[in-house]
Amino acid sequence: MFEWIVQNLGTIIVATVLIAVIALIIVCRIRAKKRGESSCGCKCSECGSCTACHNKNKVDKS
Amino acid sequence: MEDKISIALAGNPNSGKTTLFNALTGSNQYVGNWPGVTVEKKEGALKNEESVTVTDLPGIYSLSPYTLEEVVARNYLIDERPSVILNIVDGTNIERNLYLTTQLIEIGIPVVVAINMMDIVRKNGDTIDVNGLSKRLGCKVVEISALKEDGIIEAAKVAIEVAKSAKKTVKHIFSGAVEHAIAHIEEITVHNLPEDMQRWYAIKIFERDEKVLAQLGIGEETLSHIEHDIVACEKEMDDDAESIITNERYEYIASILKGVYVKKNEGKLTLSDKIDQVVTNRILALPIFAIVMFLVYFISVTTVGTWATDWANDGLFGDGFHLLWIGDGEYNENAENYANSNTVINGFIEWSESGGENLDLLKDTINTENDYFDAENAKTALQTYLFSLPINAVASYTVVDEETLQESVETATLEDLKNAINALIGYDFTEPDPASYGVWVPGVPVLVGNGLEAINCADWLSSLILDGIVAGVGAVLGFVPQILVLFLILAFLEDCGYMARIAFVLDKIFRKFGLSGKSFIPMLIGTGCGVPGIMASRTIENDKDRKMAIITTTFIPCGAKLPFIALIAGAVFGGAWWVAPLAYFTGMAAIVVSGIILKKTKLFESEYTPFVMELPAYHMPTFKNLMHTTWERGWSFIKKAGTIILLSTVIIWFLTYFGFTDTGFRMLAEDEVDKSLLAVVGGFISWIFAPLGFGTWQGAVATITGLVAKENIVGTLGVVYGVSGSAIQAISSAFSPAAGLSFLIFNLLCAPCFAAMGAIKREMNNWKWTTFAIGYQTIFAYAIALIVYQFGLLFTGAVNVVGLIVAIILTVVLLYFIIRPKFGKKEAKN
Repeated sequence: MFEWIVQNLGTIIVATVLIAVIALIIVCRIRAKKRGESSCGCKCSECGSCTACHNKNKVDKS
Repeated sequence: MEDKISIALAGNPNSGKTTLFNALTGSNQYVGNWPGVTVEKKEGALKNEESVTVTDLPGIYSLSPYTLEEVVARNYLIDERPSVILNIVDGTNIERNLYLTTQLIEIGIPVVVAINMMDIVRKNGDTIDVNGLSKRLGCKVVEISALKEDGIIEAAKVAIEVAKSAKKTVKHIFSGAVEHAIAHIEEITVHNLPEDMQRWYAIKIFERDEKVLAQLGIGEETLSHIEHDIVACEKEMDDDAESIITNERYEYIASILKGVYVKKNEGKLTLSDKIDQVVTNRILALPIFAIVMFLVYFISVTTVGTWATDWANDGLFGDGFHLLWIGDGEYNENAENYANSNTVINGFIEWSESGGENLDLLKDTINTENDYFDAENAKTALQTYLFSLPINAVASYTVVDEETLQESVETATLEDLKNAINALIGYDFTEPDPASYGVWVPGVPVLVGNGLEAINCADWLSSLILDGIVAGVGAVLGFVPQILVLFLILAFLEDCGYMARIAFVLDKIFRKFGLSGKSFIPMLIGTGCGVPGIMASRTIENDKDRKMAIITTTFIPCGAKLPFIALIAGAVFGGAWWVAPLAYFTGMAAIVVSGIILKKTKLFESEYTPFVMELPAYHMPTFKNLMHTTWERGWSFIKKAGTIILLSTVIIWFLTYFGFTDTGFRMLAEDEVDKSLLAVVGGFISWIFAPLGFGTWQGAVATITGLVAKENIVGTLGVVYGVSGSAIQAISSAFSPAAGLSFLIFNLLCAPCFAAMGAIKREMNNWKWTTFAIGYQTIFAYAIALIVYQFGLLFTGAVNVVGLIVAIILTVVLLYFIIRPKFGKKEAKN
């Protein structure tokens, strides 16, 4: 077993790093989704015309 | 304990309010939303004055209840009652900006007027008597330049002083009849409210402001009583109440500015006016717009962007590059000489063989890929062949361009052959190695490959990283330079004020089709990303127009579509200059055609809504702002490549390199990818795209994965076509020009990425409408791509009769929908 680990150490390290990166991306995307961000990362507040957006239906609720 | 002071920043849009807010608060900001609405609320502590809170109100022109921003701002001022209002007034447009000031003064909160852009006012030679204006308005007036941070600390200090003294402002007096009516209203309806607020409420009741009337809950009897006063005033002034107030405010502003504000070039055209005479000219406006947008895409995709992208694709994400191009010229010269020598020798052999000679032995001897290749034997064989040829031999042969696969016929003399053989002998039959010239930096795939080999990484994992992640993500990241150039130019056009003119120019055209120029704002934002573009459709008040804008906005190529536009332009059309501009104008034409078609249906039929917008003066954008905007958008693209695209490429790699074979489910060799899971899935749906010319499993899966993110089209093609070596060459041979154009058009116009579909669902707030929007986009894209491909085949001679008939029928149907009369017009006639 130990010999196998030593022989495949490079593969194990690379695979572990890759799995960690993929897991991190998935967790970040889930969190972003919960925050209501789109997958492109473009937030309404980053848009130059954000103050121009309005919705009359929502005004009545305010 | 020191009392808390709250300063509210109020002003017109583009008056420099947010710049002032940032300068006053620095990094002490917190961003949220105004309660119950999606307008951003920014608050922050004043620098070095923690007890002073600064609130940035939305940019507004008045305190009317017509837009969300106006309602949010006035609710805050009336309900929260900040200690002082710091009213930012654009000094270059003082008359219109003071309109809001006259309303703010009536609220009964101390007001300090900060005249911004004083540096430009002085530069224009205009003068504003600040003390005189202060006396006439009855409030403190200060001069500032928010951009240069001149006078802003002083303005904040004055605001704090005024807040502490709670000094109320002198109020503007309306004409007798109006004041009479207002006095009556005050007496009857609002006398129980705090004295400071009574006048503002009374004026709003006079204007019949529905929100104020609802808020106060005035009884029917009182309402009819005051209505009598209002109508009497309206009869006397021969105008409606709201217009009376508006006119009197402007008259008041004109009266207080007399002698206080002197404009040097009164009546003369400013530089902006002169530019607008050309740019918004009735005849020239459209051609200028077309040229500008052509240049935007030409520069970003074909020239500057391409040079940088070629370096990124071939160098950084390819074999490598020469640092600072040292040795690059010498290497290219030698590599070209080596390649040309091979072409001449192979051409002569081809020519000899066409004459009936058998030269298999010679070809085998000079094949450097053979294990038993020997340079000396090759030299002897070539020289023997040279001497066997007649002295006046001239060979004519076909040459195929490796990238574009275009064929051309070339000729060479015996002297050319002799030089070619000598050149190859000189190179010792070995292709020049770029690493032997100048300072060679290996590319990312080479470095990663070497690293993986050094640590003895398993072949399957190396393949996943190199053929999957590096090939897929690298293919997308290689286009970052083009994306940055595009975003930089668009940011320049937005910041300098030209984009606002385009909305104005397009309004004239859109109006003819029943569309509003306001529809251009979502399109403009959509060139960066479709998601905020779709969200920007909220600015369109008319519900039917808004729905139409949501459906059509993503027709404009967003930043994510640029890589595959550039890929098709490079691989299928040999880097033709017209492909990228064509993509933009196809999107624009799709919007106009869809507007005409949809507007004639019952679902979208509505009256034209007038479009009013402010045309800001032209100005040179600041370098900092340009860089900031470009980087914000570019970084968003890079982040997506490192997250969504990376995940997608891992999945695509797995599906491409694994499949069921005779020996069971296993990893496939390079020549077995036709048995991959992706090939099976793609093959299952590829028939759908066969009438469009790309009915291959590769084209089908690239289109489907593009729904995750449009960059994925390039990432997927990079992986599935990269199996056999150069993805560009494989794509070039897989797509004919007609199929390439059809592939480009379908993927430009079809359903957008999932993020944009989510935005459509949020904005439509209805599944039926969302399904209709996505269905319309996809069917429209399919029809146009089919027409383009089938008619395109006419030029190649490979006509498909059934396909052509379908294309003709679709064209006729499309034309019918465009030219048919509007819904209801027939009924009206009858």
